[in-house]
Amino acid sequence: MDYLVVFLVLVVFLQTRVTDLKRAVICLASQSVIIAIACFVIGFSHGSDIHAVMPGVLTLIVKVIFIPGAVYRLVKKLKNEREIISASNVNYSTMAAALFLVMGYALVERLMPGSAGRDIVAASILMIMTGLSLMVLRKRAIIQIVGLITLENGIYLLGLLMTEGLPLVVELGVFLDVLIAVVVLVILTSRMRLSFMTTDTSVMKKLKG
Amino acid sequence: MLIAGDAFTFIIAWEIMALVSFLLVNHESEKKKTVSAAYQYMVMTHIGTAAIMVAFYLVASSAESFSFVDMSNNQLTGYMKDVAFIFAFGGFALKSGLMPLHIWLPNAHPAAPSHVSALMSGVMLKVALYGFGRFAFQFIGMDVFWYGLVVMVMGLASAFLGVLYATMEVDMKRILAYSSVENMGIIFSAFGCGMILYAMGLPMLSAVAFTAALVHGASHSLMKGLLFMSAGCVMHATGSKNIEHMGGLAKRMPYTALFTLIGSMALSSMPFTSGLVGEWLTLQSFITFAQQAGTPELRLLVVFAFIVLGLTGATALGCFVRMYGVAFLGRPRTGIVEKAHEMPFFMLAGLGLEAVLIILVGVMPDFLVNIMQQVVSGRGMTLMGNPLGIMWGGSGHYALYSPALIFIVFAVIGVFMVAAVYRSSTFQTREVTWNCGTEPTSRQQYSATGFSKPLRRAFDGILNPKRRTTYLRKEHAYFGRKLHYELSIPDMFNDKLYKPLQQRMINYSSAFHKIQEGSVSIYIGYTMVAMIVVLIWGVLL
Repeated sequence: MDYLVVFLVLVVFLQTRVTDLKRAVICLASQSVIIAIACFVIGFSHGSDIHAVMPGVLTLIVKVIFIPGAVYRLVKKLKNEREIISASNVNYSTMAAALFLVMGYALVERLMPGSAGRDIVAASILMIMTGLSLMVLRKRAIIQIVGLITLENGIYLLGLLMTEGLPLVVELGVFLDVLIAVVVLVILTSRMRLSFMTTDTSVMKKLKG
Repeated sequence: MLIAGDAFTFIIAWEIMALVSFLLVNHESEKKKTVSAAYQYMVMTHIGTAAIMVAFYLVASSAESFSFVDMSNNQLTGYMKDVAFIFAFGGFALKSGLMPLHIWLPNAHPAAPSHVSALMSGVMLKVALYGFGRFAFQFIGMDVFWYGLVVMVMGLASAFLGVLYATMEVDMKRILAYSSVENMGIIFSAFGCGMILYAMGLPMLSAVAFTAALVHGASHSLMKGLLFMSAGCVMHATGSKNIEHMGGLAKRMPYTALFTLIGSMALSSMPFTSGLVGEWLTLQSFITFAQQAGTPELRLLVVFAFIVLGLTGATALGCFVRMYGVAFLGRPRTGIVEKAHEMPFFMLAGLGLEAVLIILVGVMPDFLVNIMQQVVSGRGMTLMGNPLGIMWGGSGHYALYSPALIFIVFAVIGVFMVAAVYRSSTFQTREVTWNCGTEPTSRQQYSATGFSKPLRRAFDGILNPKRRTTYLRKEHAYFGRKLHYELSIPDMFNDKLYKPLQQRMINYSSAFHKIQEGSVSIYIGYTMVAMIVVLIWGVLL
């Protein structure tokens, strides 16, 4: 579990530095892999029936294969897409991630002192906040999708840790939610590429009346 | 709305009235000015409705019911009651066009078709009086002295300022609109006087004041209906509302001129018209108030009120002499008058009916006054009206308004005057007015603007007219110069109150606009900041 936390934090920090879209998607996929492994670990520590395997399998299918696959196919169609001028934004988001990690630990210390899973709770808070900051600070639509999924993963992980296994219906609902959101986002992004020749969301400001 | 039994029904009916009248004002929506006037009306009337709703809510939450029966037994006390009163008065005063809140009225009336103006001025403004009366009688009670004082002072202010602005206008319908402000002011001052008298423990005397308010309300709806319709006839005939372009219309449209004369006489409260009845009763109730006033300050106030009301009456006379004289008498000023024609019978019939009613009420006021008095005081009180006129003995001295007596006096004086003229050896010659040897032209008549000049000079401080003189051409030092003179009288409240308010609203909105720019990532950022704040708060506490 400790190794998982280390890898997770590493991946999240990497995500804040990545400007190449393909690498961002790969980062997302590997992050989801870590989440899936965490699901299996938590599931098997509480029992070994189908319910223990289910979240992990769903995470693997939806968040490791389907969503990064869809986004990756979209990215392959985009050419010459890098975040160009946002070097300062990249630095800001890394700095913010560092602050969020500190904040996460401070929160866990205060809210549940002496708990065994404090590292992973702090990591999930880090993921939530970093996902938000990716959505706010970055301009590319793809990176914003990645931010959304990161946020979603963080919430899912936190929920899993707090409740030690959600009811199956809730989990299915959550996954379908994310799936549909990503499908819509991918469609919109490819439409955006067709209309604007770019996926930079700052051009969308022109649409404002 | 009149038969509403609870606040909900009342508000809904009130809103329906507001919406429908908005649509009516917006009737000629192809004109830009009409649309802006209609929307101004819409905004103002909704502010009024909001105020009324607040007042109803305060009363209803104290009574724990929205039905009027329960609301009349409310337990509202102290400053909450004051707040409820202020909101109710503000809302209803806005609808009836009292002075600081009148701003929509002179814009909505010229924009609306004439019959709609007649309806709005005749009925809608009075409905606001009804609403306020209902509120004052049933829910708030009139035992607090300063409520009545506020109503009276605001009524007086809008009576005087309304007629002053009316005298300055050249647009026929704006004149009438400001005159509506004036008359609602008189009605509300009578109402306020009644409230004060009631608060002083004199219900019988206050009944006279309330009767005055109702009588004047009824007669105002008659005469304002007549005049708005006649303004519509004039517009129909000439295509203009500006009286500066008219003149000599009486020759072209004699019947319209006659009916307008009757309406103008009524609005300037001449005898034998319904206008005098209400004003006379109002003045009587003021005199009664003066006699009952305990403290010197109050007496001073009443004297002041009396002066203001007198000034209002005199200015109203000037205003309508000006309107009638400039539009209907004298010589035609522009070509539009030459094309004017008399109205068809049915349009005249509407005017005639109201003119006849005005004269009827003016000559035999007892009928209307008795009805209104019974409304106010029930059947127990001695009625003021009798076939001779109105008799009023409440203030210790008997006062009498009798059209019959006035007629006799007028007749006697007239006979003497005629006799005086014909007894001496008089002779008549008809000559052209001497004009330094040249023929007088129609441009040398008194213009509407010129007529009101003395008044404008006298009340320069209140009106703040903006004069601008420009020389258009200056080829030669002494002649051939074209002079362009511009005069505008901005509405005091529009400039000093509404425009700064509007500017401030816009400034605040643009300040908010900075943080609400429509950028999604900024909104997500707000969410993020809020989340961080909440989390840190959770850690620290």
